Amino acid sequence: MKANNELLIDDSSSFHKIITETSIEVKDVTVSFKSKGKGTFTAVKDIDLTIKKGEIVSIIGHSGCGKSTLMNTISGMVAPSSGEVIANGKTVKGPGPDRGIVFQNYSLLPWLTVYKNVFEAVDSVLPHLSKAEKIELVEKNLNMVNLWSHKDKLPSQLSGGMKQRVAIARAFAINPSILLLDEPFGALDALTKGSMHIELLKLWNLDNRNKTIVMVTHDIEEAIFLSDRVVVMNNGPAATIKEIVDIPLARPRNKKDIIHLPQYIEVHDRLLNLLFDKFSIEDL
Amino acid sequence: MKKILSKIYSPSGVGGILYFLGSMLILLGIWQLVTFITKSEIPGPVATWTVFSEMLAEPFYDYGPNDKGIGLQLWYSLRRVFLGFALGSLIAIPAGLLMGSSKIGMKLLNPIVQILRPVSPLAWFPLGLLAFKASDQATIFIITITSLWPTLINTAFGVSSLPADHKNVGKAFGFSRWKYITKILLPFALPHIITGLRLSIGIAWVVIVAGEMLSGGVGIGFFVWDSWNGLSLEKILSAILIIGTVGLLFDKIFNVLQKAFSYESK
Repeated sequence: MKANNELLIDDSSSFHKIITETSIEVKDVTVSFKSKGKGTFTAVKDIDLTIKKGEIVSIIGHSGCGKSTLMNTISGMVAPSSGEVIANGKTVKGPGPDRGIVFQNYSLLPWLTVYKNVFEAVDSVLPHLSKAEKIELVEKNLNMVNLWSHKDKLPSQLSGGMKQRVAIARAFAINPSILLLDEPFGALDALTKGSMHIELLKLWNLDNRNKTIVMVTHDIEEAIFLSDRVVVMNNGPAATIKEIVDIPLARPRNKKDIIHLPQYIEVHDRLLNLLFDKFSIEDL
Repeated sequence: MKKILSKIYSPSGVGGILYFLGSMLILLGIWQLVTFITKSEIPGPVATWTVFSEMLAEPFYDYGPNDKGIGLQLWYSLRRVFLGFALGSLIAIPAGLLMGSSKIGMKLLNPIVQILRPVSPLAWFPLGLLAFKASDQATIFIITITSLWPTLINTAFGVSSLPADHKNVGKAFGFSRWKYITKILLPFALPHIITGLRLSIGIAWVVIVAGEMLSGGVGIGFFVWDSWNGLSLEKILSAILIIGTVGLLFDKIFNVLQKAFSYESK
């Protein structure tokens, strides 16, 4: 399944390196849940998706289309009913430290300080490190998201954006090769969201764009700004991939500038049509 | 309901103290009224106060098995309550953790809890006597077995309501079982457990009086019964005031603990 090796992503991103390694392979994955008295509910069906190392891929679709379920098969939180997911060359059997997760609702432990929230994750994933090395790692990652000065605060004392930065620092601190973001910025206001996008790309750049990032979102602009490719899902149940759209915009991207580019407008319209093909203006 | 209770029991500032004093005045008024209606068959606040201050003047005297000061009586009762309550909690918290964290545990243990919970402490007393051959241990036994239920039920409820979000953190970062229990499960369940303990100590304190009336010997409950036999209603009323005040103090202490360990309010 490594047929796409040595593939140059596209011309406009000449700056993009030649990507050779496959990071994630989703092979013919179907996920069904048994629901009480209603038989089985199939969330996603026959999903095939290959993601290269260092790629940023967004999964977009309407609410309940199974995009989070698809993501959870990669994280290992949900086991596929059939098919398999391969991450870093190994079949996914459960959550693992090579895949960092940032949850939709931050999922910080409310009784632990910002520092402790990151520390416990580091301590759990990297038990062989000395105490000093762990502390250094926590400090480095909290500094990256500018929260070291808030390290002794509890999550309830932080704003939504700050909480999500802690969650991102926590995910980066264990240095996973794959970062999975489940609607990470969905609960944030537009301004905070914008700065979080830049923050995320900054962290990705600092790491030489080596981390593969998969993000679930329902925000088209967010998907275009951040991603190399956007996976558009059909509506569930039994959702499938409708289309995978390449984003032909060179990095680094400037939010203000790209929205006027014809490529941006074209890809934006394309995604909008894919998501809203059922409705026309007359229906409203 | 919880808010109202905590407002009543934790008067804040001068206003709170004034309300508390007002409340005491109403109590004294009702008491005086009852005394008046019963033509002083039930002694009034003034008569009780005279006896009460005599009792407090020498609380720790000890003139043999049936004649001890009120301080000593209270001390023995507190000892029994703490022993019974501690034993009960030692059983209730692990059992609650077990019940709350597994569906099978819940299904197996819940019927037992539901059947034993409503049993009166007095019904347990003969069993205690039979098992321990001593009334002191029997009293501790009935406190244990009647006070453990609120802690058990609250612990089980606390653990079973652990949100999936918190569990997922443990899964995503591969927490060991020990880390999961100490960093996720227990911190989450702690406020629930303390609520349970608060209810349990209240029950233990109610049960002790009944238990000691049956067991005799020494203790605040025995003191009430002994005063009845000596026909000293002033002493009984004094004991009731002491029992009430100690109960209020217990509640206050656990209220403080509850606030200290609840993460949302911080």
